[in-house]
Amino acid sequence: MLTLKNISKSYNKGSIKAVDNLDLVINSGEIFGFLGPNGAGKTTTIKMIVGLLKPDEGSIVLDGVDVWRDSLKAKSIISYVPDNPEIYDRLKGIEYLNFIADMYGVSKEERKTKIYYYSKLFNIEDVLGDIISSYSHGMKQKLVLTSALLNNPSLFILDEPMVGLDPKSSFNLKEIMRKLCDEGKTVFFSTHVLEVAEKLCDRIAIINKGKIIAHGTMEELREHAKERTSLENIFLELTEDE
Amino acid sequence: MNKLISLIRTDLNITFGLSSIIHGFKAKKKIWQLLIIPLALLSLIPSYVLLIRGLWSFYDAFSQIGQQSYFLLMGFLASQLMVFFFGLMYVMSKYYFSNDLNHLVPLPIKPSQILTSKFVTIMVSEYLTSMPIFLPFAIIFGLKTNAGLLYWLYAVLGAIFLPVIPLVISSLAIMILMKYTNIKGKRDQLRIIAAGGFMIFAIWFQLKIQQISQKAILEGENFMFNLARDANLLVRSLGVAFPPSMWGALSLANYDSFLGLTNILLYSVVSIISFVLMIIASEKLFFDGLIGNIEVSASKHRNINKNLDKTMVATRPYLAIARKEVKMLFKTPIYLMNSVGGVIIVPIILAMSLVTGEASMEPISQFLYGNTDLVVIIGVGMIGILGMLNSVGVTTFSREGSNFWIMRTLPIKAEDQILGRLLASLFIQVIGALVLIVSIFFVIKLNILSIILILLLGLLASIPMTLLGMIIDIIRPMLTWTNPQQAMKQNFNVLIGMGLGTIYVGTLFFLIKFMFDKVDMFIIYLILMGILIISSILFFKVLMSLIEKRFRELE
Ligand SMILES: Nc1ncnc2c1ncn2[C@@H]1O[C@H](COP(=O)(O)OP(=O)(O)OP(=O)(O)O)[C@@H](O)[C@H]1O
Ligand SMILES: [Mg+2]
Repeated sequence: MLTLKNISKSYNKGSIKAVDNLDLVINSGEIFGFLGPNGAGKTTTIKMIVGLLKPDEGSIVLDGVDVWRDSLKAKSIISYVPDNPEIYDRLKGIEYLNFIADMYGVSKEERKTKIYYYSKLFNIEDVLGDIISSYSHGMKQKLVLTSALLNNPSLFILDEPMVGLDPKSSFNLKEIMRKLCDEGKTVFFSTHVLEVAEKLCDRIAIINKGKIIAHGTMEELREHAKERTSLENIFLELTEDE
Repeated sequence: MNKLISLIRTDLNITFGLSSIIHGFKAKKKIWQLLIIPLALLSLIPSYVLLIRGLWSFYDAFSQIGQQSYFLLMGFLASQLMVFFFGLMYVMSKYYFSNDLNHLVPLPIKPSQILTSKFVTIMVSEYLTSMPIFLPFAIIFGLKTNAGLLYWLYAVLGAIFLPVIPLVISSLAIMILMKYTNIKGKRDQLRIIAAGGFMIFAIWFQLKIQQISQKAILEGENFMFNLARDANLLVRSLGVAFPPSMWGALSLANYDSFLGLTNILLYSVVSIISFVLMIIASEKLFFDGLIGNIEVSASKHRNINKNLDKTMVATRPYLAIARKEVKMLFKTPIYLMNSVGGVIIVPIILAMSLVTGEASMEPISQFLYGNTDLVVIIGVGMIGILGMLNSVGVTTFSREGSNFWIMRTLPIKAEDQILGRLLASLFIQVIGALVLIVSIFFVIKLNILSIILILLLGLLASIPMTLLGMIIDIIRPMLTWTNPQQAMKQNFNVLIGMGLGTIYVGTLFFLIKFMFDKVDMFIIYLILMGILIISSILFFKVLMSLIEKRFRELE
């Protein structure tokens, strides 16, 4: 279970309030979708969870571990896939995967199984011996996804994961997310693709200007809106400027 | 023309991070970081003052034999050669490896326009590095000779045009190199070999010319007579090594005569013409070396899974970090040139400059022979200095750049971070130490015990130096670079590291000098070892808490 309690973050000494007193509870075994217009604060929130941005206020607790107090322990059970796959592009794909596995302390046998399984699934097994700078954007992204799946994470957190993936890969990714959550893990991702959120997520939160303006299951969201139609209509209605 | 001005402005902005400095000011977070810069400069002042005092008496030596102009030649030569060597590296990375090229090439602008804007930026960097060398020479000469207004005018012209010709030559050399090594598959290796070979050739060539001309004048029949008759004799004979420096020196030294006027004209006009010619040539050369540069070789036969199996073994985190660091250092040409290149070239240059002095060498090596302990101490000090000069520690976090998120989101202990990065630096240091020992061997034959002492104590001394560098780098890592060059060569941390490192080594040196005749050598080695170990532990502790703190705070 992931609990965000009253977290706030502002940039430039308070002049931009990117996340404003945000409260959110995400249960284990749940796929949670995080929606919101550009600049709403999605990436900022995610970065605070994975240890890249220290919240100005509030606490983040994952399965009883305070993410910022006991950061080493937290990091060993979180896997993060950023929106932009910037990785060591002078290394070979396999060298990168081995490096990440070493950092998580993944055993030889386990990494072998996982690397083969996921790289085959994402269809990058043939290029693992190549240097990463020769990869396409999508191939890099799939390498990062593979690396993030090497350590059985309790929390799998992804920032706009579908961007740039081909249909088959994004189908496979969705399957993986489903499977993780069946195993009782938590999956948290931000996206702009509303159909994906609608079909895949158990629960959804919509953030605007740093504040959660609605959250719940699709059913619950529908009750918020006047027109109880698609997520698209709900989203547009809720995020409309007053 | 508007395009060009806009290009130049943008490139200057990117390179020197003006926008981000202003942004930092507005965010009010980086002010204390800006304060560090003057502090670092202050720490370099003592050595700089020493240097200038040395130059002051150096001038007297030449004026006694009536060859003051030679003093100016030294100033021009030293600064222009430096511009040339730095130029090679700047040009390589700015013209061919900077990320903005991906955006610039598709735009409707001419190669020559891109090149001009980059040339201007490099010129600015080169002023920053060459003026601290050139100005003392020009100013001392002016003051000593009570020179008139015209002298100072010429000196300003001399300073303005100083980087042009050396930079034109390095631009052309690199463009030609890049054009003809733009061959699929072997590009990087080919270029490193060619660049290394070229550097060694250039050094050798310089030394050779100096030697030949030195011999020629010393063996001339009426040397003393000629010396007295022609105040520019030394300049004319030694200036052939690099004529633009000769023109510069002649123009300043003879500012009050026709000779000065012709030389300043020659100097300025040739600078301008060479720049124009280089820009014209760039239309033909530049894109040929650039296009296809980003293409890297990927395997054709995609059946390598059998080999993958062997690579999948579990490694301890710190070893994995060390291995990754070394791989990145060796696979990024700019890092390789700066780190490994540095620790190899510095000892070689030192040894070569001692060896080519042939006649004057005899007493020095005689003296050193009786003082093996002194040689050991100097050797250890030099390896220690190389520990900072290799820039591995002091840029270790900066080099992560936009990949830094990986380190910060993985569960890595601070100790593992430190140990891994330290091992990478020591790996480079072993190379440097071996080259240094071989270089020393050319000057004086050492016994086995001394060699072991130099190696052990030198590597031990590299530890606090690397840790000190890492402390500086984690306090103010430079993570927003677009070009690996910026992470290493244009990183202010390197300069701060040099300052603090010099103070550290200098303090130890004076301490040892103080004890040298009073205390048994064995005790001195023990004390040295103790200090090195204690400061390592101290730095390690500081670094631990700093890493934990900074890894949280950074944005
Ligand atoms: N490094 C930064 N410095 C200053 N302000 C920032 C920084 N990063 C983000 N912001 C600001 O914080 C706010 C939230 O940004 P964030 O990146 O979290 O949005 P987002 O919801 O991820 O948007 P998108 O859908 O475009 O990815 C924006 O107003 C943005 O301008
Ligand atoms: Mg975002």
